[in-house]
Amino acid sequence: MLEVETTVRGVLRDVLGLSDDRVAAFEADTPLFGALPELDSLAVAGVLTEMEDRLGILIEDDEVDGEMLESFGTLTRFAARKSLG
Amino acid sequence: MIEPYDWAGGREAMLRFGPGSGPVVIAALPLFEEANRMRGFAVTILRALADKHGIAGVLPELPGTGESLIPSERIAISDLRAGFAAAARTAGGRAYSMAIRSGALLDGSVVVRRRWHFAPQPGDALLRALRRLHRSGGLPHYGGHRLPDAFLEELPDCHVEPARTLRLEGDTRPADRLVPGRALWREPAPSQDSELAHLLAEDIAAWVRACEA
Repeated sequence: MLEVETTVRGVLRDVLGLSDDRVAAFEADTPLFGALPELDSLAVAGVLTEMEDRLGILIEDDEVDGEMLESFGTLTRFAARKSLG
Repeated sequence: MIEPYDWAGGREAMLRFGPGSGPVVIAALPLFEEANRMRGFAVTILRALADKHGIAGVLPELPGTGESLIPSERIAISDLRAGFAAAARTAGGRAYSMAIRSGALLDGSVVVRRRWHFAPQPGDALLRALRRLHRSGGLPHYGGHRLPDAFLEELPDCHVEPARTLRLEGDTRPADRLVPGRALWREPAPSQDSELAHLLAEDIAAWVRACEA
């Protein structure tokens, strides 16, 4: 779980162009979609693709909704469920 | 130095670095938008290979990409691969590939002695990324590129040949080495990471020497 969290943190940092300090401060309840101006529809596509690549998972369109992208915690839990089975 | 190379479908250009003899590293950039973000980075690696390690390098424009006169709506995997092989042949010497991301789909040629990949992206993953980009509606077509159906349909069968493989720390897939750094191919705007470029150049130089020994 910690490994997945580190990976998701790295993906958000790289795709959104955030500083190390900024992503290090992300907590489970840090809001993402709607709260980060950098996270537009193109960036969401980048986040999903990079998560697939680095975690070796597949994310289907119908799994992507507001809830999954709501906060750092929901996104990390989704990624962990996918990668750890 | 810019030089031409000829392939079955015409003439394209390649950038050449370093000595005119000995082993030569042929670089394959990722396809499409990621190429714009990785070109400067690849050039930094090739310059470091030439200046610090005395190893020659070549960065070809492949048919249907970059400055090629062939438009992206006529891009074909077989042409990209033929172009890469032709550039390797033209470069002379013993060819080693250095492929980044989806560039790793293009270096399967027998002209290449050994392969070195950084964060390789298989064809099915590239197709998923292109389709997702298409659906996101942020840019027309596929991230701004018109692509033929035949090209997209072929991608799931495009595999990555065995290679020395480096990935970024945090990447959970198998790798020979993990390196620190950001995914420059994902950054909102092209940026450089000179430290990582030099670290990769060192890895490539040591690998080429070991293969040559």
